Amino acid sequence: METPLLEIENISKFFPGVKALQNVGFSINKGEIHALIGENGAGKSTLIKILSGIYQPEPDGIIKMGGETLTHLDPLTSLHHGIVVIYQDFSLFPNLSVLENITLGRYVKSSKRLVNYKEMRKIAVDALKQLGVEVDLDILLGDLSVARQQLVAIARALANNAKLLILDEPTSSLSNTEVQKLFEIMFSLKAKGISLLFISHKLDELFAVSDRFSILRDGKFIGTYDENKLDDDQLISLMVGRQINYTIYPKRHLDIPLLEVKSLTKKGNYKDINFTLHKGEVLGITGLVGAGRTEVVKSIFGLNTADEGTLLLDGKDIIIKTPTDAMLAGIAFIPENRLSEGLVLRKSTKDNLGLTLLDVLSNKLGLIDPVKQEAMVEKWMSKLEIRPNNPDLLAAKLSGGNQQRVVIAKWLATEPKILIVDEPTNGIDVGAKAEIHKLLISLAEAGLGIIVVSSELPEILAICDRVVVMRRGRVTANMYCEGLNQEDIMSKAI
Amino acid sequence: MNRLKKIKELPLLIVLIAISVFIAIVNPAFLSLENFLDLLKSNLVLAMMAMGMLFILLTGGIDVSVASIITAVNVILGQTLVHFTQNIFVVVLIACAAGILLGLMNGLLISMLKIPPIVATLGTMSMILGVVLYTTNGNWITGIPQNFIDFGRIILFPYILGDGRAIGIPIQVVFLIPVILLTWFVLKHTVMGRGIYAIGGNIDSAERMGFKTKKIILFVYSIEGLIIGLSAVAHTSIMRQVDPNAFLGFEMQVIAAVVLGGASTLGGYGSVFGTLIGVSLFSVINNGMILMRIPTFWQKIIVGFIIISSISVDMIQKKREEKQKVRVDVEEGGTYAV
Repeated sequence: METPLLEIENISKFFPGVKALQNVGFSINKGEIHALIGENGAGKSTLIKILSGIYQPEPDGIIKMGGETLTHLDPLTSLHHGIVVIYQDFSLFPNLSVLENITLGRYVKSSKRLVNYKEMRKIAVDALKQLGVEVDLDILLGDLSVARQQLVAIARALANNAKLLILDEPTSSLSNTEVQKLFEIMFSLKAKGISLLFISHKLDELFAVSDRFSILRDGKFIGTYDENKLDDDQLISLMVGRQINYTIYPKRHLDIPLLEVKSLTKKGNYKDINFTLHKGEVLGITGLVGAGRTEVVKSIFGLNTADEGTLLLDGKDIIIKTPTDAMLAGIAFIPENRLSEGLVLRKSTKDNLGLTLLDVLSNKLGLIDPVKQEAMVEKWMSKLEIRPNNPDLLAAKLSGGNQQRVVIAKWLATEPKILIVDEPTNGIDVGAKAEIHKLLISLAEAGLGIIVVSSELPEILAICDRVVVMRRGRVTANMYCEGLNQEDIMSKAI
Repeated sequence: MNRLKKIKELPLLIVLIAISVFIAIVNPAFLSLENFLDLLKSNLVLAMMAMGMLFILLTGGIDVSVASIITAVNVILGQTLVHFTQNIFVVVLIACAAGILLGLMNGLLISMLKIPPIVATLGTMSMILGVVLYTTNGNWITGIPQNFIDFGRIILFPYILGDGRAIGIPIQVVFLIPVILLTWFVLKHTVMGRGIYAIGGNIDSAERMGFKTKKIILFVYSIEGLIIGLSAVAHTSIMRQVDPNAFLGFEMQVIAAVVLGGASTLGGYGSVFGTLIGVSLFSVINNGMILMRIPTFWQKIIVGFIIISSISVDMIQKKREEKQKVRVDVEEGGTYAV
């Protein structure tokens, strides 16, 4: 058998508190389209960054190109070995001409000091000829459509003598016809003996172009499979199924509507979104990154006004154009990471609690009224059982769980009926996650309606009563969580 | 390529011509050869400094310490001439070295310590001005040696006017022209020069492509320092004395001229030709306001207005571009199931 183009063995990458990759190993053959598959956060990006030399793997990892072991890979040597990544943002320069975007990298690589425009033109024409496309070389890149920019990025890779082309979600911003054209180009590159590592979340695309799949889950390598040995369901079950032991809270069927979202549409964001949040319910909204989840909840909170559609709160029409409208209507929104990062650590619990209520607490002169503040602080500290019960203690001295309570308390102090949390437990440890879950459930039991936006399926299944699944700006499923498993949700999201 | 570039700067050129025609109609003295040569002589330092600033703006940086650096170099230059040597060649070398060192100081703060350019250069500006004040007490340095004064008075291609005065191209263009050529060559024909544009376009991508971005940033502040050193020689040879307050607020004029010439304060856009038009535009407007006897305070207000409006147009365009980027691909005909 021929030596594979790329072989990786035992690749791991640890960040403080996170094992992003653990003992990953697979190989890519010459002229192969190899798919790298995994959920959000499975470690795909980390692996790409290691291959492109941006991150260094942990010491025992081995990367071989054409049988030769590469020690200490940095961005330049990675390019020298023909590994070229086409990032989602293409890493191109909008202010430079197409000509320079294609050829400049080659000059940097060859450590020449002067540019030769005649030679550049020849290289660029060659690269575009290989791709079989025509692009005006003198136009500024920023004036091209996204699909054309992508072609320029691929042409640049060819001009750099790419042997392994890594395409990071290349289809995410293309129209259907553009995707078909891209696939044709991918096949023609494959025929020329160039290997492609293809990253996508879209099953139909994966099956349409890939020869083999390598699957990552939670930073661990699951395996490499031939395209014809797997079907959709098997692939999904290999991707999901993260084993995380969260407490599973009892599922309820609730029926008093609190917030009804009807035909919400925003051009370029999402289309025809319908769902109902009931009183006391924990409703999950999930989907892949870029499905439009955050955009929808931001619209509900007045941060991203929708073009069409209505919102009903307790059966009455409400109009929300700004966050202030939303807060007055009783909607609170905690953006991503705010539970873990929403504190001013060098201020006291008391001061942190008052942040959302400055206008309520202040007197006619615009100064904070200490009596009102005391009363408010006492109420919420006891309601949420924040320990130690000392309002003057610096927030930094509180335990993680108690810090999160302070953040939630500060929003609850605005007395909302609906609490929206976006990725409430992203990047925090399991113990702290469990604390937040417990808190959210207890708030729901007290009658609040809670919307949890999360990519983490085990989390959705642990705490939500119902889940809305989104895919490319549309709702694809609205299901009770009782009896669901991760595959059921993923098959609607992908 | 060249054809396209010319088209890009055409609107500016038209504005320059239109304003010149307008001023010439109001005051025909504007069009005289003498006025033109005066304009050249009095804006030559601005043009040189603008080349230096172009390097900085292209990387997305800014340097507000340029006026203080040229002041410091002028003082060093003046003291050297008065106390140590009259050799013009040595003096030029000393001025360049001083300029490079001061520029390097900014470059180190910005590339190594990652201090935002505006903060770093505000800081060095204050420090440099403090040292200048300490050494000069705010007093002029006079007594510049005669050979240097004579050098500064040389005119090339002299032409004798009816009243016996000789006019011609000031000798200081021997500093201006090499600086323009150097800037053009570095920016247009060296890999590092294209890297300067690349950094301004997208610094992360430039890094990924293998450009040594720290080194390049260090380089732009140093070459700017070198240009300032040469500007100081040109300036002192024209003025024949050193006034520590001559350049108060001059950084704004330099930045304004470059931005007027089409450079973006966010980096990545700008050219030598555009900058030269920007400098001309700025000098013609200034000169025109004097010829039209517009009061000084109005001149200042108008200059400020020009700076803010040209930068705002730039910012508004950038914002519009940003907005177009944030999009989610919405699938047609999705299903909805309960």
